Amino acid sequence: MIELEGLTKTYAGKDVVQDVSLRVESGEFGVLIGPSGCGKSTTLRMINRLIPLTRGRIILGDEDVTQLPPEQLRRRIGYAIQSIGLFPHWTVAENIAVVPGLLKWAKSRSDARVDELLNLFHLDAGEFRDKYPHQLSGGQAQRVGVARALAADPEVLLMDEPFGAVDPITREVLQNEMLRVHAQTRKTIVFVTHDMDEALKLASRIAILNAGRLVQYDRPIELLTQPADDFVNDFIGKADLGLKLLSRRWVHQYQRQAPLFDDTTAQSTGNQHAWEVDAQRHPIRLHGGRLDGDGTRQRTEVNAEWVATAEMPMKEALSRMVWFRVMALPVIDAEGRLIGEVTMHGVMGRQP
Amino acid sequence: MKALALRAPVAQRTWLLVALGALLVALTLFMPALEPLFRAAFPELNNPVYQRESFLQLTLDHVTLVLVSSLISVSVGVGAGLFVTRRAGREFEPMVSSLAAIGQTFPPVAVLAIVVPLAGFGFVPTIVALTLYGLLPVVQNTIAGLGTVPPNTLEAARGTGMSSMQILWRVELPLAMRVIIAGVRVSVIINIGTATIGSTVGAQSLGTPIIAGLVGSNIAYVIQGAALVGLLAIVTDLLFERLERRFTFGG
Ligand SMILES: Nc1ncnc2c1ncn2[C@@H]1O[C@H](COP(=O)(O)OP(=O)(O)OP(=O)(O)O)[C@@H](O)[C@H]1O
Ligand SMILES: [Mg+2]
Repeated sequence: MIELEGLTKTYAGKDVVQDVSLRVESGEFGVLIGPSGCGKSTTLRMINRLIPLTRGRIILGDEDVTQLPPEQLRRRIGYAIQSIGLFPHWTVAENIAVVPGLLKWAKSRSDARVDELLNLFHLDAGEFRDKYPHQLSGGQAQRVGVARALAADPEVLLMDEPFGAVDPITREVLQNEMLRVHAQTRKTIVFVTHDMDEALKLASRIAILNAGRLVQYDRPIELLTQPADDFVNDFIGKADLGLKLLSRRWVHQYQRQAPLFDDTTAQSTGNQHAWEVDAQRHPIRLHGGRLDGDGTRQRTEVNAEWVATAEMPMKEALSRMVWFRVMALPVIDAEGRLIGEVTMHGVMGRQP
Repeated sequence: MKALALRAPVAQRTWLLVALGALLVALTLFMPALEPLFRAAFPELNNPVYQRESFLQLTLDHVTLVLVSSLISVSVGVGAGLFVTRRAGREFEPMVSSLAAIGQTFPPVAVLAIVVPLAGFGFVPTIVALTLYGLLPVVQNTIAGLGTVPPNTLEAARGTGMSSMQILWRVELPLAMRVIIAGVRVSVIINIGTATIGSTVGAQSLGTPIIAGLVGSNIAYVIQGAALVGLLAIVTDLLFERLERRFTFGG
């Protein structure tokens, strides 16, 4: 848990961060967002005292760390930045083991930790341990940067637009990886971004800053449905609000029982569509269920591209329906068996 | 492929270094053996090979002058460069830079003219002149080298909780080392050449046969001294090149 109390930074008489108080609970993924120059980085860098505070208190766990020597504090807080800043003269392993080294861990322990972290980020330890930073791709370097920040198992992980400089595809991959790593490690994270979609995707709580002030601190859904003021409203962006909402909702919330296709009753069930499954309940064909279709007589082969899983964001399920021009998607479990369906009607209906 | 292409010239330069190094040692030890050669080239000279001191002695004296002055230039120069790039000394940067620049624009001969009356003839005034003369490249490159350390690397280093001393030793100096060594290289090479003028005020060096040759119209002496100075400079330069390469990280 980390709590900021009345955090303030004054440069030349001007408050660039003004009285910011917020609390990120243990295991929570907190995101700071706001327009450029609103004070996100300043706030973050006051937490590990790369910038001295003008006023305010920082509480880490149940300890007031405001007076702690900055070097000591920083060894307990992971820090990952957009430009990564890997040490070019050190190998990947040496880069990751920096903080364990400062904390005087035994060599065997920090070696084991390096391998564990490389595995966590799906980087083959044998291959990557002895590489130098200039031999890594941007995405790999950023993974190593985050691994370095996590090395000494810090109480909090601070991240300043860590994925801001990579291409959109890599960014998406890294975001998914970050979600997985967060789920696996249950780290308390404070993450800065100016990308609302990134915030909605990652955050369990979002803090919106404007001109150095905290204007709203809420769960993503509440931010979308109950914006505190016009600024938040405008900042979130009305244009694709519906899609943004769906990005925070999951297929299982819309899932319902899938009607099964049965040769003998095909014509008489009265369903608009039905799923044909094989002996293992793998969906193989959709009967009907096309906007331009001709009742249940039209058949569409199910393929891996247009299925949904229970944990998929509803936005993605909707996108697949639109792309493949079907009115329903089969929901499958890990073994590929049909466990339900989501439909266009369901999406348009009651908002869960 | 790329690695191969890069390796070839390095290997060639290694051979060059070995060959020139061997030549330097051979000439230092066995210059008198070349007497027939010089006699044939300069038949009008009675003594076509400088014999007053051995070339081994002259070379050792020369190297001592350069080593002592360079050690002082490097300690003072790197120290000053470090000082003005720390927070406490930042305001002294312009002053230190101009002082070092003045040191180099001041001709060594003029320094000798000033120092000799104060410190007498011989070793000391030569060391003072060489030290002042070699300071600028070291100071400049120390400042420039520390300036090449990327700010994000420093930010990351601070973020890990390293102290400023740890950042200096583990991050800044290793990353600046290549540029600093390049400065030392220039300084040392200049001083190998400049040390010859020490002989005008009685500091024995490879300049001694050159001066003697100029005074006594003995071209052969000049050639012998100059050849050894030139070889010494080239061999030293090749050695520094190898040293610099050790501190090159990444592309
Ligand atoms: N050292 C400084 N001296 C004076 N003003 C500063 C200093 N550092 C930052 N500021 C100002 O503080 C404000 C907040 O800066 P900050 O870097 O926190 O913004 P940000 O929200 O991270 O923006 P961005 O999204 O562009 O990274 C800006 O207006 C900036 O100009
Ligand atoms: Mg910023």
